Amino acid sequence: MSILANKDTRVVIQGGQAGVNAARRMAEFCYLIKRPLNVEAFVYPPDAGKTNEIPYGSGLIAVPVYATIAEATKHHPAINTSLVYIGADRAMKAGLEALDDPHIHLVSMITEGVPEKDAKLLGAHARKLGKVFNGPSSIGIISAGACRLGVIGGAFDNLVLSKLYREGSFGVITKSGGLSNEIIWICSQFADGITTAIGIGGDAYPGTDYVTYLEMFENDPQTKAVVIVGEMGGDLEERAAEWYGAKKRRIKLIGVVSGFCQESLPKGMKFGHAGAKEGMKGEGSARSKSEALQRAGAIVPPTFGALGPAIKEVYQELLKSGQVKEVVEPASLPKLPKTVEEAMKADEVIVTPLIRTTISDDRGDEPCYDGYPASELINKGYEIPHVIGLLWDKRLISKQEAEIIKRIIMLSADHGPCVSGAYATILAACAGIGLSQAVAAGLIMIGPRFGGAVTDAGRWFKYAVDNKMSVDEFLAYMKKNVGPVPGIGHRVKSLRNPDKRVKELVAYVKSLNIKTPCLDFALQVEQVTAAKKDNLILNVDGTMAAVLVDLGFPVDSLNGFFILSRTIGLIGHWVDQKRQDSRLIRLFDYLVNYAAPKRREVPPLK
Amino acid sequence: MAKVLEGPGMGLMKKWGIHVPNYVVVTSAEELAKLGQVNDWLKRSKLVAKAHEAMGSRFKLGLVKVGLDLDGAVSAVKEMVGRLVGSITVSQVIISEMIPHKEEYYCAVKSVREGNEILVANCGGIEVESNWDRVKRLPVEVGQQPALEALEKVVKEAGFTGPLVKRMADFAGKLFACFDNEDAQYLEVNPVVARESDGELVALDAVTLLDADAKFRHPDWNFQFAAEFGRAYTKNELDIMAIDSKIKGSVKFIEIPGGDTAMLPAGGGASVYYSDAVVALGGKLANYAEYSGDPPDWAVEALTEKVCGLPGIKNIIVGGAIANFTDVKKTFGGIINGFRKAKADGKLKGVKIWVRRGGPREKEGLDAMRALKDEGFDIEVFDRYTPLTDIVDKALAGK
Repeated sequence: MSILANKDTRVVIQGGQAGVNAARRMAEFCYLIKRPLNVEAFVYPPDAGKTNEIPYGSGLIAVPVYATIAEATKHHPAINTSLVYIGADRAMKAGLEALDDPHIHLVSMITEGVPEKDAKLLGAHARKLGKVFNGPSSIGIISAGACRLGVIGGAFDNLVLSKLYREGSFGVITKSGGLSNEIIWICSQFADGITTAIGIGGDAYPGTDYVTYLEMFENDPQTKAVVIVGEMGGDLEERAAEWYGAKKRRIKLIGVVSGFCQESLPKGMKFGHAGAKEGMKGEGSARSKSEALQRAGAIVPPTFGALGPAIKEVYQELLKSGQVKEVVEPASLPKLPKTVEEAMKADEVIVTPLIRTTISDDRGDEPCYDGYPASELINKGYEIPHVIGLLWDKRLISKQEAEIIKRIIMLSADHGPCVSGAYATILAACAGIGLSQAVAAGLIMIGPRFGGAVTDAGRWFKYAVDNKMSVDEFLAYMKKNVGPVPGIGHRVKSLRNPDKRVKELVAYVKSLNIKTPCLDFALQVEQVTAAKKDNLILNVDGTMAAVLVDLGFPVDSLNGFFILSRTIGLIGHWVDQKRQDSRLIRLFDYLVNYAAPKRREVPPLK
Repeated sequence: MAKVLEGPGMGLMKKWGIHVPNYVVVTSAEELAKLGQVNDWLKRSKLVAKAHEAMGSRFKLGLVKVGLDLDGAVSAVKEMVGRLVGSITVSQVIISEMIPHKEEYYCAVKSVREGNEILVANCGGIEVESNWDRVKRLPVEVGQQPALEALEKVVKEAGFTGPLVKRMADFAGKLFACFDNEDAQYLEVNPVVARESDGELVALDAVTLLDADAKFRHPDWNFQFAAEFGRAYTKNELDIMAIDSKIKGSVKFIEIPGGDTAMLPAGGGASVYYSDAVVALGGKLANYAEYSGDPPDWAVEALTEKVCGLPGIKNIIVGGAIANFTDVKKTFGGIINGFRKAKADGKLKGVKIWVRRGGPREKEGLDAMRALKDEGFDIEVFDRYTPLTDIVDKALAGK
């Protein structure tokens, strides 16, 4: 047996994320005691109509969210308890809504910082209706082996260590949430554990007090003794003492009160809980409370540390008198399934990775590129080309190589609005398309005819150099097997109207006195092809390709240099159009050669 | 409970129709002199000047001056502003008019479990404190207002007669309205006086305690709450209060000068048992502190730095019960960062750290604390199998 919360308790949780977290803890307990989840619904207007997924064992239970308590209890008529996790400014309304529902008999409020006036109103309202309002600031209620309301009891391991999977003989009532777990733990170590533990909250005027629950425990035959943990302030402990001393009680009462340190501290100093403040004239002091409990016949250990032995003594007496029997622990208990991460940490599973990476790692406090922390690269003077070298070729390139790459990027960042890429981006921008999609529209244009010849140019120049081909052999091979030489030829530029970008890049690379076999070969090819036709010059794609192959970059990465640098221009074009608030554009009829058949009659459908 | 100084307290009473003396709160003598030029009452009335700070025994300290004219008040302000009393520098002075009167009475409203209580007595000042049996009480149920007949009845019981019955009943009704609507937890007017000029009842001096938790529905509470223990909050305390008001969960910090045992425990309940254990063993607390409700690690780190910065400490008690949902590893992470910073700043020399804790991820958290030994910290770490306050016994065993 237990009080307040039992196997028939069905719960609605009022609140958002905090409520979901509590439901998860409650599900862990239900799983431990092999009972179905006791949370049937949530009430949280912003999420009404959705469900909250609550892990139970290795599965997930979808718990519906409603806008009102009335809806929740209409769909789940077994609900008899509400837990309130609503913010302090709306807590009273939520609490009243729950109390006023005929299905609900127990409302426990977890919210902290509820105005005193609101808490008193809620308590009075519940008493008028003959219901129980527990809290505010309550950590929850737990009945061993039967029902958990809220996060009281803590983590799964603690539930097991504190033997909460089966009944003991001790009731617990505390103001403090943290100490409730401590007392449950002590009861399981020094005695046979608890029946029910209740956090009443540390506010000055909680809805229900020690006496409410002492009455209930007195009528619960399984509970043989009750531990109360009090603190200075208010008169709840004095009331408990008064109740206990009023007549012969079946249950034994063990109590501790905190706040003796007040006697040597500045007067009126406020400690911990809202209710922990000394009265105006010495009333509510730890000493007066302890003495009141002692006078009423309760066992009052002198310090918190002496509580365990005191509980043990009571338990031994109960054993001796035959009121309780030695507990037989169950042979086995359900284990909470581990998450994949936990199981991996414990070397219990092997997981086949889904992807593999060899270039970067973001698991520390900052990303590492090929093992080098980004901030360290910055602090040691490395620049963007070095990051490209690390991520594209997994090597730390030299200063000289970085300078070449920087120039390549600068030279091909943009080529005006008319080329396919920029035009596509502008067209998209004018249609009101967002940045990433409009830039992607421009990037899609990069291919064999626009900007996408770098990789192929590099591949074939490299092929020729690797196979020690002469220019003539190469051109013959290309004509027979491939077609026009990628990297050679320009739409508008020619020998007489050279591409200044090419001249610039070639001149710089040649000035460095480094070995450039591919570039040299490409220039020789140009001499032959340009002699045949004026515009068959080495274009910017071909030049970049030859230089990058000479630097050792993998052939497959070469188009990346154009894509990367041109992205700078494409972003610029999109921002430019956006800034101008450009309007939707369309082609003019006169720019189209309408070569479609003339208008004609549609034949009947056969 | 949050204490409100006289100025804003009188403002609230005035709002609910209670007569209060004319008053101004000033920060300099010049300000008062200027106010004197535009406010007739400052020139006409006899004045009282009081330091407008949260401190006791102001009369003894010479921080209350009565029977002044405007010039006298100006020089009283000059004298008081800037005076250092204990840890508080007087920065404000309240000047109010003296109300000539013969009789003094008492009226208060206080919060009790069943609702509220209205207290009246037909004596006031010091007289009521020594004649507490003359105070008569009218209980008012939760959510109810006192009926006029009930007010008149209790006023008569308290010995009021004639036209004063209606006046006192009216005064008590207004005080209750102020209490109820302003989310007060305690309102005490002592004395209430009958003004000689027109017989009206005036609240001459008052204690106002408001419910700080209700601040969200009182946008006009534009005043700061005063410390409740006879001194102003220190900068360190205000720093932690500022953090506390911003975060999920809570961090609390109060300095106690002269102590040598620093406290850094978790939980509003457990922290007091830890403090009790220190005092019971004859130790001297250097502070009160507490963190709870799974606060962010940076908040706990800030609290740790304040604790480590306390002068003359020998032990730090990092205690705590078995947490329900506070992540021990995460909060200990904050404490560890705080310890490291303090050590790097040359603090924690000769300070021994004592740890006891349980709760979610307790093993990881305790292991991380134990690892501090390797960094040269003097630290002892215990788990749930060591009873809650035993670390205090161990820490103070050497005394």
